[in-house]
Amino acid sequence: MRLFWELSKLAFQRQLTYRAATLAGLATNFFFGMLRASVLIALFHGNSEIAGMTITDAITYTGLTQGTIAFLSLFSWFEVMNSVYTGAVSSDMLKPMNYFNFWLAQDTGRAFASFLLRGLTIMIAYAIFFDITTPQSMPQWLAFFMVLILAWLISFSWRFLVNLAAFWTPNALGIARLAFILSWYMSGFLFPLRFFPPWFVKLCYLTPFPYTINAVVEVYLGLVDGQALVGIILAQVAWILMLILASMIALRAGVRRLEILGG
Amino acid sequence: MPAIITVEDLNKHFKVYKHHRGILGPLRNLFSRASSLVRAVDGITFEIKSGELVGYLGPNGAGKSTTLKMLTGLLVPTSGKIIVQDQIPWKNRTNYVAEIGAVFGQRTTLWWDLPVIESLDLLQHIYKIPDDRFQQNLNEFRELLELDTFLNTPVRALSLGQRMRADICAALLHDPKLLFLDEPTIGLDVVAKERIRQFIQHINEERGITVLLTTHDLSDVEKLCKRVMIIDHGKLLYDGKLHLLQEDFGGKRQLIVDFMENYESVSVEGGTITERDGTRMTIHFSSQEITASELINQLSAHYRIRDLEVREPDIETTIRRIYEDRLLEQPE
Ligand SMILES: Nc1ncnc2c1ncn2[C@@H]1O[C@H](COP(=O)(O)OP(=O)(O)O)[C@@H](O)[C@H]1O
Ligand SMILES: [Mg+2]
Repeated sequence: MRLFWELSKLAFQRQLTYRAATLAGLATNFFFGMLRASVLIALFHGNSEIAGMTITDAITYTGLTQGTIAFLSLFSWFEVMNSVYTGAVSSDMLKPMNYFNFWLAQDTGRAFASFLLRGLTIMIAYAIFFDITTPQSMPQWLAFFMVLILAWLISFSWRFLVNLAAFWTPNALGIARLAFILSWYMSGFLFPLRFFPPWFVKLCYLTPFPYTINAVVEVYLGLVDGQALVGIILAQVAWILMLILASMIALRAGVRRLEILGG
Repeated sequence: MPAIITVEDLNKHFKVYKHHRGILGPLRNLFSRASSLVRAVDGITFEIKSGELVGYLGPNGAGKSTTLKMLTGLLVPTSGKIIVQDQIPWKNRTNYVAEIGAVFGQRTTLWWDLPVIESLDLLQHIYKIPDDRFQQNLNEFRELLELDTFLNTPVRALSLGQRMRADICAALLHDPKLLFLDEPTIGLDVVAKERIRQFIQHINEERGITVLLTTHDLSDVEKLCKRVMIIDHGKLLYDGKLHLLQEDFGGKRQLIVDFMENYESVSVEGGTITERDGTRMTIHFSSQEITASELINQLSAHYRIRDLEVREPDIETTIRRIYEDRLLEQPE
């Protein structure tokens, strides 16, 4: 537990030291947020509501999605893969620790720093420049944070799983890139899933992706509550358990392979 | 003393696939997978007793690292038995690695972008080392390994020698009874080598830590290890005391003679002429057969001699002969 805390703290501090990168990231995220907001506004064509979302909801949606990019490492996260390719994984195997927790701890610190530096700041900027929606009650805020944390756990465990491909192929980077791009569509990052045809949405719900960004957005905007909300949370927990289990199995197999083939 | 490491008929074979070249190469690789077998470790047996400091010597590609990786649980043997401190290294690795120390020279266990001291602090939590024990060890190693000047430097900015010292410190903070070092002096200058050797000797003598170190540098072994294991092509060629190796296999002393004139033929009894260059001649002889003075008397009785020199066999030559002539290889 102490180790988890120390690793998180280090990863948190590391994020704080990337000042220039944080500022550049913020500016980019905000710029693209405004761009995306104007596209969505044009899409509304003067309608006050599309698929249950108002214009204000749509603008808020772009803020939320831009704000989660860094928090969920939405564009890239190849750290485990790199450690396999550089052989650092062998050094880590010589340490008495759980490899999954080792990375989870670091991602906790990284995500928390990103939440403050890149998530919260973007929402504040949005609140200054636009009229945005906010959760209407304490329970809704609580539900939002709960869904947000679970979304991060899903995100971490599938990123970890995809990275493990490096144990088998020298081309894991390509595989991971593809998976990340897939996740932009299926998580509702590029457009709210509500805007897609039902067959595509059904397809998306066969994956864990909608339970990341789409779930976070819908709970924040108050588009789901009651039973649907409970359903989302349960599905999130189920996906987390499944992905962690899959990660453990893949990790074991990958390490086994390394033990036989050598690094 | 009980054995702390037992290795019996250990083998590690790697299948190496041949890759086709050219445009269609990748396609052909899919279908034909011609492979060859590399016997990196080939039937090795030995025992190490608690408190020993053993050198594992061999040229590049001999199988040293592969052996050490199996001993530390990073590799599973193709066949054979390894018991270290009553455990099988690759089974339940997390438990096992908590009780050993290991440094692989080419790779650091520390975190690349963290200052050394922060890496060491993290290791305290990874190994769950009690505060007082950690401080005590750190203070001692800081002084012996002279870490203070770079404790706050990120690992990536360290020189090779500094990094090695930091890594060795890192491997010992949790009080392992057993330390594996893979090429701890590789690429270091003489001073840096010496500092590390002294430290290894110190922890072996003062703390009773059993050390197995690999090296291709004979001077490491000469200075440090009473016992040496020589390995080449995956096979153990010699296991014993270094000076006995000298007596058993070095054997040949050299007599270098400079004659007054260029004799057409020179005959010696009890020695072999190995080199002749004008008036200069090298004779190999073995102490068991003839003494140096007998040989000199014999020569000076027949020839006029300007100068003489007796050279003792140096261990480097001995070991090169062992590698090259495979002197010690048992017939299969
Ligand atoms: N993972 C691997 N796959 C294939 N061959 C390997 C692997 N690791 C080592 N080898 C081969 O095994 C032999 C012994 O290597 P190694 O143990 O690293 O030698 P040393 O450490 O003595 O220099 C070498 O021929 C090397 O090429
Ligand atoms: Mg080696």
